[in-house]
Amino acid sequence: MSASAIYQEAIKALATAAIGHGTLDAPDGRAFVDNPLCGDSVEMEVTLADGRIATLAHRVRGCLLCNAAASVIGKRAAGASTEEIERVGSAVSEMLEKQAPPPTGWPELDAFVPVHGHRSRYRCVELPFQALLAALRASVDPR
Amino acid sequence: MKRVLYERLQAATAAGASAAVVTRLTDGIQTLFDGARWDGDLELVEEQRAGVQRMLVADRSGMLPGAENLFVRSYARPPRLIIVGAAHISQFLAPMAALAGFDVVIVDPRRAFANAERFPGVTLIDAWPDVAFEKLKLDATCAVVTLTHDPKIDDPALIAALGSSVFYIGALGSTRTHAKRVARLTEVGLGDKVARVHAPVGLDLGGRSPREIAVSILAEVVQVRYRGKVK
Repeated sequence: MSASAIYQEAIKALATAAIGHGTLDAPDGRAFVDNPLCGDSVEMEVTLADGRIATLAHRVRGCLLCNAAASVIGKRAAGASTEEIERVGSAVSEMLEKQAPPPTGWPELDAFVPVHGHRSRYRCVELPFQALLAALRASVDPR
Repeated sequence: MKRVLYERLQAATAAGASAAVVTRLTDGIQTLFDGARWDGDLELVEEQRAGVQRMLVADRSGMLPGAENLFVRSYARPPRLIIVGAAHISQFLAPMAALAGFDVVIVDPRRAFANAERFPGVTLIDAWPDVAFEKLKLDATCAVVTLTHDPKIDDPALIAALGSSVFYIGALGSTRTHAKRVARLTEVGLGDKVARVHAPVGLDLGGRSPREIAVSILAEVVQVRYRGKVK
């Protein structure tokens, strides 16, 4: 099995797992973002506790990469602050554009390294992170 | 006509549905088809029901072919052409189909393409096809054509269309592309229905440009509307 095939399997597995897929009963913040060029969309909901993500849920209409990235968020984002998610989002873009290493604490993002060089697909991976940030910025911390 | 049947006919047409009333001339008993359900005292066999649906799709009234004494009155809304994909071909197909008497709707979640500048005067829905189709309430007077070249968008449209009574389904793409599509649709359990999809889409007129392909698609939709599936 070639390296790219292994990555492909990892992406598929993440997309199929759809970790965090769903909706929340009483979100503190929610956001909807879409990519007008390909039609992919992500709806993200979060609840906060002490300025950090307590729970989140997302609904993705999109490609494999977009679904897989949302799944990683479902697995890793709980407990993070807005600032931390900002850093992770920037690190993801750096990883895609400049082959920088994936952000620490988010090992599953390693699977997206081969996306580098396919410029039109960067947004597919970034979209769920943008949705999460937008949901966090739109949220009212219940403290 | 019985009052209850008349009221149902009124309700169906007021709701924008197509309907047909079948009357047995020997005794006057009737049945109403509202595009989805059959209702009334007259019982028709499956073959007769299919014949009535074909007449309704073509907006034809008259004696039901093959039956001695069944009269069909069609109350058809204008046929609708639902184009999935705000593509180059769509820019020609939409106005051509409107001139030919179709209500045209373009569905494409890609807002960059589905905008009024590219499609002046056309009804645009920038949503995913399966979501848009629920609102559009597909029926036997609808034709659905998928033109995005992206299975992510075309496939959900085809799956939704195959679950409906639309009179025509067409999908852009080569024979090879279509073979892959058939495999995907078979995988989701539509193997017995996938033959309803006309592909490669359109009559083989020999043209290759987007405007010529639009002519061939429209020609095939009109042909199927009146003659049923030919090829």
